[in-house]
Amino acid sequence: MRDGLAITASGLVKRFGDRRVVDGVDVAVPAGSIYGVLGPNGAGKTTTLRMLLGIIEPDGGRRQLLGAPYPRDASDRVGYLPEERGLYPAMKAKEAIAFMGALRGLDWRTGRQRAVKLLEQAGLGHAADEKIRKLSKGMAQLVQLLGSVVHEPDLLVLDEPFSGLDPVNQEKLEALILAERDRGATVLFSTHIMAHAERLCDRLTIIAKGRHRFEGSVDDARATLPSRVHYQPRDNGSGIEGVLPPDAERENGGWRFELPRDGVEGLLEQLIQRGYGIAGLSIERPGLHEAFVRIVGEADAAERVQ
Amino acid sequence: MSLARTLRQTMTVARRDFVATVFTPIFLLFLLAPVIMGAFGAVGGLGAASVADSSATKERLVAIAPPDMAPLLKSADARLRPAFPRDEGPPELLTVAPEGDLAAQARGVMERKDVDVSAVLYGPLDRPTVLRGVLGRRDARYLGLLAQEALLQRRLGADVPAVTASEIEHARRGASLGGQRGSAFFAVFGVFFLTLFLAGQVVGTMAEERNNKVIEVLAAAVPLESVFLGKLLGMFGVAVLFVAFWGTILGQIGGFLPPSIGAALGELTPAVGGGTFLLLFFAYFTMAYLLLGSVFLGVGAQASTMREIQMLSLPITVVQVGMFALASAAAARPGSWVATAAELFPLSSPFAMAGRAANSPEIWPHLLALVWQLLWVAIFITVGARLFRRGVLQSGSAPGLLSRLRRDPA
Repeated sequence: MRDGLAITASGLVKRFGDRRVVDGVDVAVPAGSIYGVLGPNGAGKTTTLRMLLGIIEPDGGRRQLLGAPYPRDASDRVGYLPEERGLYPAMKAKEAIAFMGALRGLDWRTGRQRAVKLLEQAGLGHAADEKIRKLSKGMAQLVQLLGSVVHEPDLLVLDEPFSGLDPVNQEKLEALILAERDRGATVLFSTHIMAHAERLCDRLTIIAKGRHRFEGSVDDARATLPSRVHYQPRDNGSGIEGVLPPDAERENGGWRFELPRDGVEGLLEQLIQRGYGIAGLSIERPGLHEAFVRIVGEADAAERVQ
Repeated sequence: MSLARTLRQTMTVARRDFVATVFTPIFLLFLLAPVIMGAFGAVGGLGAASVADSSATKERLVAIAPPDMAPLLKSADARLRPAFPRDEGPPELLTVAPEGDLAAQARGVMERKDVDVSAVLYGPLDRPTVLRGVLGRRDARYLGLLAQEALLQRRLGADVPAVTASEIEHARRGASLGGQRGSAFFAVFGVFFLTLFLAGQVVGTMAEERNNKVIEVLAAAVPLESVFLGKLLGMFGVAVLFVAFWGTILGQIGGFLPPSIGAALGELTPAVGGGTFLLLFFAYFTMAYLLLGSVFLGVGAQASTMREIQMLSLPITVVQVGMFALASAAAARPGSWVATAAELFPLSSPFAMAGRAANSPEIWPHLLALVWQLLWVAIFITVGARLFRRGVLQSGSAPGLLSRLRRDPA
């Protein structure tokens, strides 16, 4: 692997007919990290993942997966949970897991043994000999997830893994992702639910309208927006607007405004000197959610201008 | 990508398909389908036989002859009849004394209600007239022969020589031409019959993965070519199981057949020799299955609903029957341009070459043909996988070997 990167891609392009679904996406996933691909619905996340895995071929750009210029050459070291889940309904849960392992080079016997163990760890031990068609949708999804890790891959790619899971199972999945990272695997997952990304991702990329709009850590993303100050004066008398920054807005008897570039201290001194006092003060860093909405909003605006 | 890895991936898919097909109750029904078919056939056959029997026993030949000639005609009939096989002889002979207008009497006989009369002979025996029904041509000629025999008997009397031939059976050591043609047809028909029922099954197999979305899991883990070949081999395994099951049963039944049928089967002498022929027959069955199967699989993979797949079954049968017709023509005229064309055209090649194994003793063309056919299986699978990748997975084409070599850093 070059430069400790599990995946690199530059300028990936995919056209479906005349439409450029993916239009020059760059990705660099550090080995051993949890990496998120974020984007609104229809942004091109799934298409990007499928190109990275070699399921489909890009119309342009370069990619490298676990050091292999042709992703399929490394496919035995990869685990993948597709967005559209699918298992053979007539297969037993442990057979389905072993089958997915066998496709990636794990022998059947080891696959079955690990399947039983994994199912027990996930609290599904009773379902090992149940046919998939008898399982609930959420359970089947967990079975497929276990099938994608049974061969202990170096790279785990999960496409919208949280969709369709109840909060308890979402928590289990988060634990599993962290456990895989701790085992040494690189985890790449796509989502449009920011809370998961915020909790899990070491780094992330945001894709919108087929283009990559941001790359960095969660903190980097949050730092693209200034912090906001919520100030509650002791005396909300007239003239206070003149002291506060021009963008200050009234909110619940207090004021809300962007944190000034040079900090809030100078402003506070003035407010105290003029007798407005401080009844409450909080400085809030924007969440990933706000950062995401702004980045995607800018992408929309940019496209409208074009 | 190493060959061992590709093979392993292919066999994983094949194993899944084989197990998923064989370990189901429906498979028993499929395995026993020939019994059901045979039972219907037997019932139908019995019915048809009884109808044929009753009509045959009521059919008659009639000779309008004076009383002095009637016994001579009867004894001529007794002498000539043994030349026909038991169930294929002419109808029973009735003699009727002439009354008035012979032609009118003959027409009256043809219209009789109690029996069916296939032919009536009347007039002087050296220049008789035979009135016959539409299907009575053979019977009319037979009546003519009887008249001639009867006249000979009357003229020569006791001087008619009695000849008794002694029969010795001889089985020709080399393959007889008739035996070769027989086994050629048997081979072509056998391969056709087996593939007709079995290869068509492949057409819907990709639909399963498309409907339950497993295709994404397979396509991510394994090259599509391996998926296609694996599915084909899995279903071929099912076909082999089917053939082996019925082959064993028919082999056992063969031991109980009456010796005359055994001798008739012994006449089926392929030119390459029995053992080699059996081997080649199986090889060509395999190739026919893989060739037709790979085309059907590729075409069927493009269909997304069961309805579309059902619509495909007619063209598929037409293609198979077409290949059978071409190969049958080739087997009947070995060495002709039709035969060469059928042997070269990939889809008819296994059928035609199976026929050739019966007709001509050289082995090398078979080795060549098997390689040629394998090449086409590979081509069909590659093309099928490519179309699938492009049409269904909406991918561009995967980099070919050449472009890979060119782009690989030295």
